[in-house]
Amino acid sequence: MRADPLASTMRELSAIQQRAVEWHDGPLLVLAGPGSGKTRVLTCRIARILDQSPAERFRVLALTFTTKAAHEMTTRVAALTPGLEERADIHTFHGFCAGVLRQHGVHLGIKPDFAIYSNARDRRSVLQDALARGTPHPSREDQRLLPRIDYLKARLVGVDQAEEWYASRKGTPAQEAARIARAYRLYEDELRRSNALDYNSLILEAHKLMAFPAMARHYRTMYRHWLFDEFQDTNGSQYKLLRRMAGSDFRHIFAVADDDQTIYEWNGASIRRIGDLVRDFGCEVVQLPTNYRCPPPIVEAGNRLVVYNAQRHARRRPAEAVPRPSSEGERHIQCRVFETDHDEATGIATEIAGLDPTERAGTLVLARTRTLLESMQEALKEQRVPATILARRDDFVSPQMRWLVACLRQLSRPLDRRNMAVLVDAFQRFAQVSLDLDDLLVRSAAEGVTPLAAWIRMVQSAGRQTLVEELVDKVSKIASGESRMETALGEILELFGNDEADENLKDDLSAWRRLSAEIRGDIGAVELGRFLQELDLRSKEPHPAPGAVSLATIHGAKGLESDRVHVIGLVEEILPSWHAVNAEHGGPLEEERRSCFVAVTRTKRRLVLSWARRYAGWPKGPSRFLTEMGLGGDDFPPVAVADNSLPRFHR
Amino acid sequence: MRITRIEIRNFRSIRHVTVDLGDATVFVGPNNAGKTAILDALRIALTRRWGQRGTGFDEYDVHLADDTADPRTSDGVSIELRSDEPEPGDWPDTVTEDLGDIIQIDLFSGRRWVALKAQWSWNEDADAFEPTWEFLDAKRDPLVGRSARRVNLDRFWRYLPVFYLDALRDVRDEFSSRSSKFWGRLLRALEIPADVEAEAMRVLDELDKRLLKADPRLDAMANTLLGATRIAARDREGGLALRMAPLKTRDLLGRAEIILRNEPDSPWLPLRRQGQGIQSLSVIFLFQVFVEHLLAELYEEGSQPLLALEEPETHLHPQAVRTLWHHIHRLPGQKIVTTHSPYFVQHVPFRDLRLVRLTPDGTEVRSLPASFSTSIPHLDGLDKVVAKSGDLMTYEAVSETLTVHGALDETTYRALLSLCGAHPNRTELEGKLRDLRDSSSLYITDDDLRALETQGQRMRGEIFFAERWLLVEGQADYLIVHATANALGYDLDQHGVAVIDAQNNGNPGTFAALARALDIPWLAVFDGDKGGKDMIKNIRNREFDDNAIRDRCRTHSAGDLEAQLAADGPEAELQDMLASMGVPNAQTLQGDGLAAKLRDSKTAYASELAARIRDGRATAQCMPAAFRETIEKLAGLQ
Repeated sequence: MRADPLASTMRELSAIQQRAVEWHDGPLLVLAGPGSGKTRVLTCRIARILDQSPAERFRVLALTFTTKAAHEMTTRVAALTPGLEERADIHTFHGFCAGVLRQHGVHLGIKPDFAIYSNARDRRSVLQDALARGTPHPSREDQRLLPRIDYLKARLVGVDQAEEWYASRKGTPAQEAARIARAYRLYEDELRRSNALDYNSLILEAHKLMAFPAMARHYRTMYRHWLFDEFQDTNGSQYKLLRRMAGSDFRHIFAVADDDQTIYEWNGASIRRIGDLVRDFGCEVVQLPTNYRCPPPIVEAGNRLVVYNAQRHARRRPAEAVPRPSSEGERHIQCRVFETDHDEATGIATEIAGLDPTERAGTLVLARTRTLLESMQEALKEQRVPATILARRDDFVSPQMRWLVACLRQLSRPLDRRNMAVLVDAFQRFAQVSLDLDDLLVRSAAEGVTPLAAWIRMVQSAGRQTLVEELVDKVSKIASGESRMETALGEILELFGNDEADENLKDDLSAWRRLSAEIRGDIGAVELGRFLQELDLRSKEPHPAPGAVSLATIHGAKGLESDRVHVIGLVEEILPSWHAVNAEHGGPLEEERRSCFVAVTRTKRRLVLSWARRYAGWPKGPSRFLTEMGLGGDDFPPVAVADNSLPRFHR
Repeated sequence: MRITRIEIRNFRSIRHVTVDLGDATVFVGPNNAGKTAILDALRIALTRRWGQRGTGFDEYDVHLADDTADPRTSDGVSIELRSDEPEPGDWPDTVTEDLGDIIQIDLFSGRRWVALKAQWSWNEDADAFEPTWEFLDAKRDPLVGRSARRVNLDRFWRYLPVFYLDALRDVRDEFSSRSSKFWGRLLRALEIPADVEAEAMRVLDELDKRLLKADPRLDAMANTLLGATRIAARDREGGLALRMAPLKTRDLLGRAEIILRNEPDSPWLPLRRQGQGIQSLSVIFLFQVFVEHLLAELYEEGSQPLLALEEPETHLHPQAVRTLWHHIHRLPGQKIVTTHSPYFVQHVPFRDLRLVRLTPDGTEVRSLPASFSTSIPHLDGLDKVVAKSGDLMTYEAVSETLTVHGALDETTYRALLSLCGAHPNRTELEGKLRDLRDSSSLYITDDDLRALETQGQRMRGEIFFAERWLLVEGQADYLIVHATANALGYDLDQHGVAVIDAQNNGNPGTFAALARALDIPWLAVFDGDKGGKDMIKNIRNREFDDNAIRDRCRTHSAGDLEAQLAADGPEAELQDMLASMGVPNAQTLQGDGLAAKLRDSKTAYASELAARIRDGRATAQCMPAAFRETIEKLAGLQ
């Protein structure tokens, strides 16, 4: 008999999880706390919809917030319904929009093989070129308008509506508005000229297309069910896009959300979005209160914390822990107090260094700010504990990989001048071969060859070192079609691989291997242009080294979990932030509280909370969240640090 | 779905043709003009044979500029197919679900379409010809990513199953239960209820028993044969029996065949013993049965069969051929037909006809389109001009296509030209607009075509197979021109010249316009009287300028045909002819009198004169100069 992975997974679900998975077609919001198995519910629901309609052709659309989550979900659905996963399209919002624009962007003057500019450097240079092209003497202020342009695009304000938009709001003088609008127009024109889009364009342009009823209908027909992961993180423009696509009648919506985990308000997410969804689509609500991840004391601490927030779903039920017989007497939460931030870093690093290697591997250290993590990483380094800061990387960090990607881009878009500049610059940084870009472009035009071909010629004639010669030789063989792309890339990576001391390069190589495997897994072997689009959408961070401690900001900790979690810097004006403590209304403070909630609920077994009396020389008091969690009082004296085995923490 | 347009490059005799396809499209043209190439291009682009090893192409399929050209250095074969939704919402939802990744949408009308480009060209790296394919967007850029997955191609094919019935269709193959793509599948798909099957088995067994008893020798034979099983003995005894009736109902069904009789009293005969015509025809109808009963089961909701049918008229009597169009027209799905039969063409609507011919530039296809398009950018003010034109023009912004649904008048043309003033590519745009005006001037209105349908039906069949046209006034001209040409050594039939007597078939202007639209070389000879001049005026009214009229139209200098005959003589021959026709005092007739007598019995004298010209009793050299010179000119006409 054939093993039925879906049926056996379904049997493992709780009654309430099953109810969500088997929900009929109607709109549903699943309120799911940390560790409640929401990803499992989502993947099972997708698999079940497919499984129940083997003869049908419609597809299921699932949108997530990270490419990593999309990749994992794709893999899980494939495992649950082998052979049917082809009908499940699981993307990030941006990835989905990129697909829409590849197929239909022609209506907006977008070619299918557009590039996606994801990093700030590329976009600044686009603005610079745009201004140089459009104005005789571009001012320095104009070159700083990128954030203003981003602000407009993130609110779906098109080029034509920009001035009007400012006029309808107080605070920006008409002259200033006109200046921004002009720069915005030039910037967009330059993007089009370069056959490129930035992140905000993806949503903005897809939103424009969905204004046409035939287009929205097409996607409603193709995708009979829409599922959303982490719906609380949806920002305004994404939600507007979703509304437009849904039109007035579409209701097959299934969203999983946790209002207690809304921590991206700075990115346009809003605690109100969940309410909007329930109201606009008439969602029913199912709650998954059971927390399978955290031990009972942590679940309780989390519950105690979040009830201080006023902005929550009205009938939100407290999380329920799963009793664990084996954990009797185990101290799941511990607190540490230090004199200074330096002491805290050193103390925690020493503690981690002293752990059994198996417990140490995978330990997660969370902090509100990146600065705290960097001190932590230093301290761990001194203890010879390998540690990686997990953070999204929009670009590779080593000049070698930036050069290689630029070469690929040049093959895909032979006339891209801006990328040629990146290529020349990156090559100079690691190969010390400097060429003048203008010179190169003149030569390319004069000799009637592509800029890449001209570059190869020029470098070859200047070539001295063997490595440089070999690299250029490999690239020229790809360019001439003499070598197969994959073989030659492998050889180039091997040439790079000789330099063990180069941390950045090591990171990048690890990221490259992970990404190329992921992309191949998600969309198969694709043409170069499409591969590069996919590369642009994904974060270039390396695989954490085996046995390494992971460090992450709380905002970067979404979706992570670990047996042992440290949260550091739990003081007023850090967590909660200075901004939230001093805000006029309670909103920012509530968001900080949710951050703290996210942080502590990453824990599978042991949570260590710590704080110091001084940070960067400034005196600080313990975070109010400690008290709110019930950890500041006598029940939880911060005595763990006074443990005699660790006397030097007391100064 | 159905194919609305096919664009072919570098395929066999075709360098580049674009053909619009309707529900039923009929290709006519001489042998080797490229009709089959068009059908094959469709078939290859739409079947699984292509795109894998052993494609539908071979190296002889690449169109070559000349004998020494190397197929490897050519651009290779390219076939572009487009399928448009007739009206928004016509395609069922399953099409969107299935083909969602390759569908393109016209945002304003909401109409959807898919475009596939199949190519077959030399690949340096692989050192071989390789097939490639891509779906296109409105700017004809290839769609990438998900849209470029192979599964899309397979699905697209499922919506457009192609059935090819070539000219040599054989009833023995098509009605065989094993080899036929139609009959065999139909028989296999039959569902016999269990009780009927049981009853049939019972009857078969009973029948078998009685047959076996009918002759005692059968029993003896069986006994002898049983020895075989004893030799190959096993532990348990097997068995052997003679079976007279089929063993299973399936076997019975496999033998199903069609029998016919022509008269109530004639014997029933199997189809394969019928005449070739009936056999050929039955195969076409078998296709219909197949589509009606099995297509939905084998393909998709929204699948439409595409029937490529070569020479449906094969072996059929003209009367039968005449009615054939109506049957074919009613067949389910989209039909693409080639024919060599004027009888068949007689009933085909003009706009469904495609004239195929071979020119030094390769195969060309001409038709009578209802609209004309060009590609120009979205110029400032263009929308206004388009709006002002009423229904005459439409503009599609994404593909930058300006379409004229009729002839582009001078005022609108000027208005369009004035928009190009500031454009950097002004000259190029003006050229495109000029071409658009020129091609749209070939537009033939629906009214003209309707008039031709009714009045010109007799002519319709043959004129589309002709290479040149000669317009004359009436029946007499028709007969005499034919005979004269024959006597002068230029047989009109043999050289593919159709003589059209305009008087009986509508008006000459329509034919002249039709010839221009279809690019058929033509000349005209009319009487030198008022009637003839009116005919020329009629042609001139179709936007032919003085040069064209001077070049192509002649009149008899002495007046009408009879006046000219009387003037050119020799009188004796004409007098003798009239006398033989029983005209009294024929020998005394001269000049006007002679002409008048001829007019009195127009058709009769003309056929008599024609006969005499053919057998030499009348001198062809004395026939009107306008005729003789025009015949000479026809011979050299391109």
